[in-house]
Amino acid sequence: MTGWLEVPRGWLDAFGDIGRFGLRVAGLVYSGRVFKFFGEGLRQAGILIFGSALIIWAFCFILGLQCGLQGAYFIRSIGAPSQAGVFSAYCDLREGLPYAFGYILAAKVGTGIVAEIGAMRISDEVDALEVMGIQPMTFLCATRLLGAWIALPFLYLVGIGVIYFASYISVVQQVGDVSSGGYLLIFWMYQSPPDLIFSVIKGMVMATVIVLVGCYYGYTASGGPVGVGTATAKSMVFNIVAVHIIGMLGTVVFWGANPRAPIGG
Amino acid sequence: MTRALLPAKNAFEQVGVMMILTVKTLISAVRPPYPYGEELVWQLLFVLKLSWFPLLVSTFALNLGAPGLQAAGILSLFGALDRLGGFFVVIAIRWIAPLVTAVVVSGVAGTAITADLGARKIREELDALQVLGVDPVKNLVVPRFLALMVITGLLDIFAIVMGLSAGIAAELLYHQPLGGFFATLFTNATVTDLWSSVMMCTLFGAIVAIVCSYKGMSASGGAAGVGRAVNQAVVISLVAVFFFQFVVSSILFATHPELQAIR
Repeated sequence: MTGWLEVPRGWLDAFGDIGRFGLRVAGLVYSGRVFKFFGEGLRQAGILIFGSALIIWAFCFILGLQCGLQGAYFIRSIGAPSQAGVFSAYCDLREGLPYAFGYILAAKVGTGIVAEIGAMRISDEVDALEVMGIQPMTFLCATRLLGAWIALPFLYLVGIGVIYFASYISVVQQVGDVSSGGYLLIFWMYQSPPDLIFSVIKGMVMATVIVLVGCYYGYTASGGPVGVGTATAKSMVFNIVAVHIIGMLGTVVFWGANPRAPIGG
Repeated sequence: MTRALLPAKNAFEQVGVMMILTVKTLISAVRPPYPYGEELVWQLLFVLKLSWFPLLVSTFALNLGAPGLQAAGILSLFGALDRLGGFFVVIAIRWIAPLVTAVVVSGVAGTAITADLGARKIREELDALQVLGVDPVKNLVVPRFLALMVITGLLDIFAIVMGLSAGIAAELLYHQPLGGFFATLFTNATVTDLWSSVMMCTLFGAIVAIVCSYKGMSASGGAAGVGRAVNQAVVISLVAVFFFQFVVSSILFATHPELQAIR
């Protein structure tokens, strides 16, 4: 039977280990040692694009529909239906997309990495790599981080397009209080290029943490087939909370002092 | 051409099997012998013990960042920070509380259920149960299904409480008195908001339980298989939850015009 404090205690135990492991993997990428396996990095990027892109965009699309719907009804309730773009612009770019990206990345990519590397660890393939003279951490973890850094910014940017399109559909076509031109005028007025950059930074920090956490739990998996399943579940718990905390900190850092709205001085 | 359509066919097949499992679970939950009482209590405690802490941290962080500071920032430009209470009814109660509860429950309890059932499947314990004449659906799936439904619905209340305290924290960060926040909160909140939020969340719990049980019970392929089952279970349940929330809230807004009244 698990105790009430097992989850927070498990994080405290794992936090330092994950930090050290993550810094080592990031160091392997920064020092350029990963480029010995650049082909493997590209292969991992390809796997991300072919395996996860569609599901990421579908998820962004659903969240965009929801953003537009809630925003349109909220703005109608305060009696300014033409301003629906304000809510959509904030919800899509600043908050909704990073969270949607983080959730689906944790679910699809993070747990996928744990399952993959964990299965290799259980069947002693990681040790076999080491015997063959290939550094397993570089070959398995650093290449995945490199692949994520190559592919994910572009997936994120396309996701922004998808989520904008979805919000447009639900505000203008489904609810229909505001005309297409009126919506787009306000929508584009309430965002600027720095907002886009901040949003991408937020999403990429989440992606980096998710990939590293996935690598950590996969690399340290033990205890047979059951162990891989448990490690996968644990990585999801950690990632969900990490996504929320990074999202909050990002908001505080980027928009906390200055809401960056085209109002007043 | 047929090969290109294979993933779609596969997806439809899986949805169909999940529907069958749902109906089987519902029927064996109400049909008389009720051997799952003890397991149900165990599962309720298990889900609650695993989920309470991630849920509280997640809802507080999300509500402080997204509707709290973003909306407070733009409202402070108008000098209308007291309106944040009304905004929190829309965001924290109607939208984020059920959503984040479902995400956390699927990520924390759902993955644990899939890992557990998947491990039993891999070790052929489920087949052994069947040989012994014990129905795995009745004894394993039904208690998890009921426990997840009940707990997800109840955790929604805690998510709302934490979300509103995040709103209070945002007001305090902007050095505002709290009277305006509570005044607009209580004039805008309706009973419909609360029950729709809890109902939605109960539905999400059912979805997560069915998807995760199905994926766990159909795991195959050794060590990699259990991990893959967890991966697929959590992806499918997240997408299903987000999609169902869009559908449910579309219907809710369209059929309850009192939610759109100006107060």
